[in-house]
Amino acid sequence: MIATGIPKLDDYLHGGVPIGETLVYYAHPGVEGAVFGMQSLFHALSTGISGVYVASSTEPRRIREQLGEFGWDVDAYGDRFAIIDAFSGLIGADSHERYVVADPGDVRSLTQCIHNAMEDLREPGVLVFESLSTIMDLCGESETLDAIEEWNQYAMLYDHVMIYNFTAWPYSDDTLLSIKENICDSTVSVGGIVGDVIFGQYFGVLKANWTDVVRKYILFKVLKPGGVRAYIPKILVTGPFDAGKSTFVHALSTRAVSVDRFGTTIALDHGHVDHKGFAADIFGTPGQERFDPIIKLLSGEAMGVFLVLDSTRSEDFARGKQMLEITRSFGLPVVIVANKQDCDGALTPENIRDKLDMPENILIMPAVATTGEGVFEAFETLIDMVTGV
Amino acid sequence: MLGKVLADLGKIGDVEASAVATRDGLLMNADMHNMGDPEMFVAMSATMLGAAETATTELNKGIPNRVIVESDNGKLICMGSGPKALLVVMTAPEAGLGLVLVEMVKATEKIGKLI
Repeated sequence: MIATGIPKLDDYLHGGVPIGETLVYYAHPGVEGAVFGMQSLFHALSTGISGVYVASSTEPRRIREQLGEFGWDVDAYGDRFAIIDAFSGLIGADSHERYVVADPGDVRSLTQCIHNAMEDLREPGVLVFESLSTIMDLCGESETLDAIEEWNQYAMLYDHVMIYNFTAWPYSDDTLLSIKENICDSTVSVGGIVGDVIFGQYFGVLKANWTDVVRKYILFKVLKPGGVRAYIPKILVTGPFDAGKSTFVHALSTRAVSVDRFGTTIALDHGHVDHKGFAADIFGTPGQERFDPIIKLLSGEAMGVFLVLDSTRSEDFARGKQMLEITRSFGLPVVIVANKQDCDGALTPENIRDKLDMPENILIMPAVATTGEGVFEAFETLIDMVTGV
Repeated sequence: MLGKVLADLGKIGDVEASAVATRDGLLMNADMHNMGDPEMFVAMSATMLGAAETATTELNKGIPNRVIVESDNGKLICMGSGPKALLVVMTAPEAGLGLVLVEMVKATEKIGKLI
């Protein structure tokens, strides 16, 4: 297996792409699709695998710059990284890359280079195509489709993995269908959400020959540096007065702001989390009842909820439960955070479950927000519930 | 599409930043010229508008047309745009509010139709 390095995708694919098999990132026009292939390439290199990048629409120098913008220094891997330059020939520029396609308009010339690279590459290696679409534009649709079949056979013979970036421009229906469903062992769709309330980008597995397909779409964001992050636009943090919600938000966040007066939140806490391939925006609500209208206002469209409780104050638990109702959280993934576990008289999560009368399937996790203990465990648990496998 | 509406607003003199968000504070589009964190900016604006609406309706004065915040370094105007969205604009301190408000009303109508 060669992992793709895209958060969550490797879980859905059961570890990545098996040796000798192929994957296509099928991107709709206008979304940031090219970064997926680059991230897979860099991930392979960083885990000790050799990688070749087939540059067909950008100068190799500019590709190294693009990779650098994401913080991916590919040249540090020396011989394990190479570029097949199928671009410089187009503009008549000199090229110093290891493989240079003499005539990018002739697909056989490219096939020859790919064959050479595969022979040289220590197996298992990964070949990543910057853009199948530009190859198709230059060499013709049916010629390219035939060539892809040939390349995929080489991949099988030489024990490499092929990863293609493809942008679904208006090619013929047969071509699009063939790329989407037939020609590769797996297809990952990369699309954009338009017209709905959240404007964003998502990816999801359409097909994978080696495992059952998980029908789940993941929102993503592209960070520079960083690359593709699975993105959760809203996670709500709610709970009774003085439970430690703001402290929890700040403990999780790489940067956060709070609107508070006299030590209590009056409007909201807002924070960005960037953790293990996941990016999320966190909204913390006030706790006091007089702010309930604001809680209602802010809680729409949350994808997951933390209910933070002060483990020493069982008299507030009923209010906590009521807040789940106010935020209309039932049905959403919820993790209850049993905060202030370091204080005298703190109840254990099991005791809290009894007092709250919560069913077994609602998770209650211990935490100390002031020191950050248990905070990321709770985050990872909620993320797993939101993204589900 | 939303980007076009915001870009048009940006052409008015003294408009420095603008953004469209859902009423519950999720960013839909922003034209911020690197002035700050758009996600946080719209979350706070949504809270402000929501709080203002709650405050006035509590006293049976209906829903406010807009919230205007004036500071020495700029003016911030936030208004609803249909039932689901809101528009927020940050201007230079010397900006004339008249023109900005007229253009914002036009923009909110367009946004309302787009969503």
